[in-house]
Amino acid sequence: MNQSGVTGVPRATGPSRPQWIAISAVLVCLALIIGGLIYLLPVLSLLGNRDPALGRGVPAPAHAPPPLDSKQRINILLLGSDDDQKFQGDALLSQTMIVVSVDPAHHQVTLLSLPRDLWVDIPAHGKAKIDLAYARGGAPLARATVERVFKIPIHYYAWVGLKGLVRVVDRAGGVDVDVLHPVLDDNYPNDFSDSGYGTERVYLAAGPQHLDGRHALQYVRSRHGDLLSDFGRSIRQQQVLLALQQRTEGMDLVTALPSFARDLNGHVKTDLDLVRVTQLGLFMRGLRAADVRQAFITPYVRDSTSPDGQQILLADWPAVNRYLRQLFGGDLLP
Amino acid sequence: MKRARRVITLAAVALFVTGCTSNGAAPHDPGKVVLPGKQVAVAGKLYATKGRSLYRFSGTHVTPLLAGMKVKDPAVSADGARLAFAQLQEQRSSIVLSDRDGKSRQTITPVSGPEGALWAFAPSFSADAQQVVYLTDRGKQASSPRDLKPNDLGVWVYEAATGQSHRMVAPVGYTGGDSDPTFRPGAGDQLIYTTYLYGGVPLQPVARLTWMSTRTEANVYLSPELARDFQPAVSPDGRFLAFIHADSGRDDLYVMPLGASFSGVPRPYPTEAGVRVQSGMVSQPVWSPDGRAIAFLMLARGSFDLFVLPVTTTGTVRARSVAQPVTHGSFLDADSRLAWSA
Repeated sequence: MNQSGVTGVPRATGPSRPQWIAISAVLVCLALIIGGLIYLLPVLSLLGNRDPALGRGVPAPAHAPPPLDSKQRINILLLGSDDDQKFQGDALLSQTMIVVSVDPAHHQVTLLSLPRDLWVDIPAHGKAKIDLAYARGGAPLARATVERVFKIPIHYYAWVGLKGLVRVVDRAGGVDVDVLHPVLDDNYPNDFSDSGYGTERVYLAAGPQHLDGRHALQYVRSRHGDLLSDFGRSIRQQQVLLALQQRTEGMDLVTALPSFARDLNGHVKTDLDLVRVTQLGLFMRGLRAADVRQAFITPYVRDSTSPDGQQILLADWPAVNRYLRQLFGGDLLP
Repeated sequence: MKRARRVITLAAVALFVTGCTSNGAAPHDPGKVVLPGKQVAVAGKLYATKGRSLYRFSGTHVTPLLAGMKVKDPAVSADGARLAFAQLQEQRSSIVLSDRDGKSRQTITPVSGPEGALWAFAPSFSADAQQVVYLTDRGKQASSPRDLKPNDLGVWVYEAATGQSHRMVAPVGYTGGDSDPTFRPGAGDQLIYTTYLYGGVPLQPVARLTWMSTRTEANVYLSPELARDFQPAVSPDGRFLAFIHADSGRDDLYVMPLGASFSGVPRPYPTEAGVRVQSGMVSQPVWSPDGRAIAFLMLARGSFDLFVLPVTTTGTVRARSVAQPVTHGSFLDADSRLAWSA
């Protein structure tokens, strides 16, 4: 008699060792891809936010960006404007126009501020203050205007709103700035009030100090108490940019980048891609203060009044062009 | 497919960047005063603010004062018995006097007037504590966004005997005004402060140390025309002036001798004979009561911290050793004055 009653049932067997290795490899790859997507999505979402295509009559960019492995100069038009809550779409005058020119061959960066009241020829719009270009045609028209007027090829642009600046500075842990003069403004526009139209009183003592995002914005934006008006503001804007660059020197860009991207979503528009952002970020980290050149065309402009009665700045173009040749050498457009 | 390739490429770049960056996050404010592992004993009582709260450093102890009040620019009388400070309120401030522990408080300046809300900052006692010099925008013209008027800070003085204040120095419009007023110890009729101006072609921001006779109201510049010298601090014997000289992106600490008596127009400018005793991003120097050290705030590893620098003024002015850190990574308020008493 067969005691067991069961014979010949095969024992259950799992995947072989090579199969386990294959499964593990697939899971690791999946985890990497999912992790990478989680990491990159906020960044890609931010970088995907750009101004619409060229409007009618707006020239295309003069030059495509140089290849990644090139040592050619890269010019980025940095634009800043009012809080867009108060205005429709892009109907914003640009309060800040700075050409950030990165010269890898000479390991140098030039910051060139363009005065917002400069009277120029805007493509398809005629003579106007240069800050009108962004309001009429967004970044593409601002870029085309700078290329036409200053002969500087603009490879990329980046627009940052007020809240964007505040968040960048706060994410960097603030900036350390030598405030050049006491800043007093009894009528500082309070863009963060409910209506966006209120004013507040601002005071910043002069001298070295640490500024959080909100106070950094007050520093770069206030001009009521500054005899230099828009020029003074340009100096302060470049100061904060440099302080921000120094502040981010010690940061771990990899972990910081998605946080920056989430903070900035909706407050930045750019046609920079992530690879270029990464490349520029690494380049900027290696910069010393002496590698950054601050430039202003203010010595070559004078106050005037436009035919329609606006207070404007007129440039001495031969002098401006000589100055630009000093800054950019043979990298200007023909 | 194209997007997937792009994402993979970017992920690879990110991984590459990971390998290239390992410095960690930028330093952030810890929200409290942090002392270094090797503590420095502070002789006497040294006052500083952090997050607009007042702290007293003495020996290796740190004592918070004036709980719940927002404070800027502490000052202490020569005998250490009285404090003065700016109390910050919503978009206005006033000067308050108190005893050494922050009690028995007395507000000596209005927070508003017919001209609107007012600022008041940077009080400083005279040697006998009978006067307090300070900054305010009192007396400005009313302003609105459609009719902008300057509201720069001028130098005023409070007389304890009468309880009244009067203006000593009217500011130049649209400069931000004057700053850092301080009496010269041992000379009751002399005032030192920073005048903010614009100079050069094209115009640039300028800060010049100014020496004023309160008796004759005459004043002279101690700094050249295009200098950026500010935050003067006079030694307890009145013979030396510590100040910040800004140049080429640095804010260094200098010390210079000050003439025995107020005189016309000193040439060369006295600040040009100053000796640099500390390099870096330095702010708010103050002398120790015995004149053998200068305390200041300095940016170190992303934070403004309190340092004490032993100095000698016998013979050549020089630092006797390197500056000792009293705090570490504390993010003290570098826009707020320090005060030091015995």
